[in-house]
Amino acid sequence: MSESIIEVKHLYKVFGELEVLRDISFSVDEGEVVCVIGPSGSGKSTLLRCLNKLEETQGGDIVVLSQKLANVRNINHYRENIGMVFQHFNLFPNYTVLENVMLAPVMLKKMSKEQAKEKALELLDLVGLKDKQNVYPVTLSGGQKQRVAIARALAMNPKIMLFDEPTSALDPEMVGEVLEVMKKLANEGMTMVVVTHEMGFAREVADRVIFMEDGYIVEEAAPDDMFSSPKSERCRKFLSSVLPGTGRKMAGPKLVEDCAVAM
Amino acid sequence: MAEYFSMFFQYLPRLLGGLRLTIIIAVFGILIAVVLGILICILSISGKKPLVKLANLYITVIRGIPLMILALFLYFGVIKNSLPLLTSASLILGLNASAYMAEIFRAGIQAIDYGQTEAARSLGLSYVQTMRKIILPQAVKIMIPSLMNQFITSLKDTAILSAISVNELTMVSKTIIARNYKAFEVYSYAAILYIILITALTILSKYVERRLSYDKR
Repeated sequence: MSESIIEVKHLYKVFGELEVLRDISFSVDEGEVVCVIGPSGSGKSTLLRCLNKLEETQGGDIVVLSQKLANVRNINHYRENIGMVFQHFNLFPNYTVLENVMLAPVMLKKMSKEQAKEKALELLDLVGLKDKQNVYPVTLSGGQKQRVAIARALAMNPKIMLFDEPTSALDPEMVGEVLEVMKKLANEGMTMVVVTHEMGFAREVADRVIFMEDGYIVEEAAPDDMFSSPKSERCRKFLSSVLPGTGRKMAGPKLVEDCAVAM
Repeated sequence: MAEYFSMFFQYLPRLLGGLRLTIIIAVFGILIAVVLGILICILSISGKKPLVKLANLYITVIRGIPLMILALFLYFGVIKNSLPLLTSASLILGLNASAYMAEIFRAGIQAIDYGQTEAARSLGLSYVQTMRKIILPQAVKIMIPSLMNQFITSLKDTAILSAISVNELTMVSKTIIARNYKAFEVYSYAAILYIILITALTILSKYVERRLSYDKR
């Protein structure tokens, strides 16, 4: 019986007048991969950002690793356990690839410089970019940048990884390489929450898919159930609009690379 | 022509004396401006409404007063004889430039994509660590051309301080001309000295800019 590592209860969030999240409740178990899908403006990214307090919330509870976010005194310690990958990579342009990955562990005294370097090279190897360690981010392609960003987030040995539309800003031919790295991570047992438009990835890698619309969780199911027989009309509509071959039942897991087209 | 040059060398020692004071006032004035500018900038990026308003008020007032008035008002109306002339001059120049500096700092920091802050904070870095390691190194690079502009402006603004009888380059030239009526020659000498000094400063700034570049490799 695995423990809930993330527990969200009745989360409520407004931007001024706009209710972005209304009564969101869900949980994520250790080692689970949860994909959050839904139309843009549905609150998926906001939900993810609330989990490590990049957004303030107006109601409800978030409990991560048995720590209630509302009671957290030192937000920086709390965030060390949660790696985040952004749509626009946000690599630090004034540092080399290696420095980007090493920076946080060294600054926060998690590791000595040597340890951090060793770990960083290991991670860069994992994402297939060891040979780029000494270049500056500006020289990298989008896919490479995002892979470095993943390595950077992993350098702090987080227990949870949050992905905020990690492939949405990429050229189609680079989506596969990033998803491949994420798949590797998932297979290694990382707990992941992924906001994505990559239905192929969600279907193949996720343990559970959450469909959001208008700030509500409309449907939550295992990927096969969700994609082959969505229960709600809204989810069915959304899926038929994003999946190729409207209304067609998709059979069997598809390769990640093939599904890059789905975006 | 020969006379023009011989006169130049005749007055050069006195002009250089004036230039020395110009440089001293400019250096101390700019230092004061940088310190005050950083303080004001911290207020304006603090996100706390009263502090932001205070910073804006300061900037509005200082920027709204011509340096000449600021100098006359402060020196003859406030400072009177309580401070040495050079200190007063540096202070006045610094006060004047601090408002512009504060805006340059603020604009530079706010020009950095907020995603940089989010990425750093999500790794567990504190606000101060994020500023120091991530935001400021990038912001400073953006600020350099505007900062250099402000340095040059302040350097030239020292001429206005002749209004309070500081013996800087412009004042020295005026004094010489009062004796010999050679306005064309002596003012052109002063102009040449200003140009040399500012060109040197410009070359220095280009050098610094090149040293700080990381995205053109």
